[in-house]
Amino acid sequence: MPVARRAAARPEPDSPEGRHSSVVFSDDRQWAEHLGVFVRSGLERGEQIQYFADTTAPERVLRALTEAGIDAAGAVTRGQLSVSVAAQTYLAGSGFDPDTMIGLWFDAAEAASASGYRGLRVIGEMSWGARDVAGADRLLEYELRVHEEVFAHVPLTAWCFYDRRLMADAYVSVLASAHLTHRGEPYAVPALRVAPLADRPGLLMSGSAGYDTRDAVAAAAAVISGAAARTELDLADLRHLDAASLAVLADAAAGRPGGTPLKVRQAPSPLRRLLQLFPELDSVVEVVDR
Amino acid sequence: MTTYGPASAGLGRQAAFYHPALFYGTEGEYLDGVGTFVQDALDREHSVLVAVPGPHLPLLQDLVEGNRKHVTWVDMRQAGRNPGRILSMLQEFADRAVDARTQASIVGEPIWVGRTPAEAWEATRHEALINLAFTGRPVSILCPYDTALPEDVLAQAHRTHPVVGAPGAYRASPRYTDPHEVCCDCDTPLPEPPDAVVVPFGERALASVRDEADRWAAAAGLPPVRRTDWLLAIGEATANSVRHGGGRGTLRLWCADGELVAEIRDRGRLADPLMGRRRPDPRAAAGGRGVWIMHQVCDLVEFRAVEQGLVLRLHMGLE
Repeated sequence: MPVARRAAARPEPDSPEGRHSSVVFSDDRQWAEHLGVFVRSGLERGEQIQYFADTTAPERVLRALTEAGIDAAGAVTRGQLSVSVAAQTYLAGSGFDPDTMIGLWFDAAEAASASGYRGLRVIGEMSWGARDVAGADRLLEYELRVHEEVFAHVPLTAWCFYDRRLMADAYVSVLASAHLTHRGEPYAVPALRVAPLADRPGLLMSGSAGYDTRDAVAAAAAVISGAAARTELDLADLRHLDAASLAVLADAAAGRPGGTPLKVRQAPSPLRRLLQLFPELDSVVEVVDR
Repeated sequence: MTTYGPASAGLGRQAAFYHPALFYGTEGEYLDGVGTFVQDALDREHSVLVAVPGPHLPLLQDLVEGNRKHVTWVDMRQAGRNPGRILSMLQEFADRAVDARTQASIVGEPIWVGRTPAEAWEATRHEALINLAFTGRPVSILCPYDTALPEDVLAQAHRTHPVVGAPGAYRASPRYTDPHEVCCDCDTPLPEPPDAVVVPFGERALASVRDEADRWAAAAGLPPVRRTDWLLAIGEATANSVRHGGGRGTLRLWCADGELVAEIRDRGRLADPLMGRRRPDPRAAAGGRGVWIMHQVCDLVEFRAVEQGLVLRLHMGLE
């Protein structure tokens, strides 16, 4: 049984890594507490607040805030708070598309700024990711991309709500661990953790990558395929990497414009061994600290 | 009985696949038989690979003194320690010869005195598979057999080589047998280990199975470098069980005679006996990449088709 994830040193709240958090909970009381903390802080800071519900009725969100002593109705009236449903907003139409979504955050942050707010803060209920929603299989890719593509550029604070009652624990672990800041209940360390690098463009992969973790590897590959050549993979804590995972990652890099090799730091022994067995991969995988 | 002349003048040598077994009893016979084959191939400007046990290499190198650099020399005790990886090496060499617009002539000695019975069985399987892999290709592969080898090993050589003989006289082997049949015969029952750690697995347990296999090997004294290989092989084998072997399998781990053994048992079938015997494209999902990796990194890989499915044993020496 994997050990519970330790509470990481929390990044500065206003840093890009501190503004994108996973929030894991398993009952309504925890949900309401996180909601209250988030909204109260946003109101105090003069930020615009948007709540995108999945299974929760919007009026229940407002009621919970009111019960917590927050003037939710007033905030809604003056346009500082809105509660909408994902299926009617960003999931409407052809479903979930990370590229469209990333564009929307730039627009929304600009609109909030134009309305005089000091920033935008958003809660998203992510439970749709466990259902048969078109594009839901790209949720991990999205969570991995937004650190570099959104939070590094836009004054956005986002808490991604993962409700254990609606999503399998293993999936919650994979998604929650893709965030650099975590709140709420601890979660089991996933077999393979993929997360953005805090200080430079790239991904960290830790744990053990095999056939069982192919979805997480595919998400990492999707990030790499669209990322700039300087994007790195940090594999310092990767214990195992199988040939199929390496092939998927190498393919993603090779498919980029110019076919720039994938830069890998702290290459673990299985990767080095696979490169010995398949020297032809040397042209697509570059171990930068060999 | 049809009698052919020396191996170098064997029937069809130029036109088609030629795979004789050379039985030798003395160093003189060895040098005569192998030396003639190599010299003839050099005279014909073939690409020549000599893969024989290390101690035999200097003898042959002295024999072709002036042409030494025109031959690729390989110590079979290293390159062919696991008989399951020899065929990949031979096919790669033959492919390169085609690229160089030459013919390939190969000396391959996969069995030597001292091979364990388990290794000899897999080497016999390898010899049978050579016939499948090179059907119709103009490749010559001479396989020397020391007559001091056990009788059953020599008997199998008559079944796996279309042509057999001694220096100076080769003939069609009357006991030559269809390679598929030989492979079936190689599926001999495996001895039960006295004591094994048993780890059943399905897809969700693959990562914990890898971790368990790693911890177990570390505790058993396998050095870190070899643990990487151990884990690569077990990772591929257990993934294959999930993908192709009915979605789950059973891993058993034990130590025996200075080596570690991992057995993976599932409900799969090895559809193609040549699976994993040719260097794969590392970026292609199909093509036996996993099995090829197992063969490359393990000291011995045993496959057994059994009534309930497939049994695979991966051996790794502690040294």
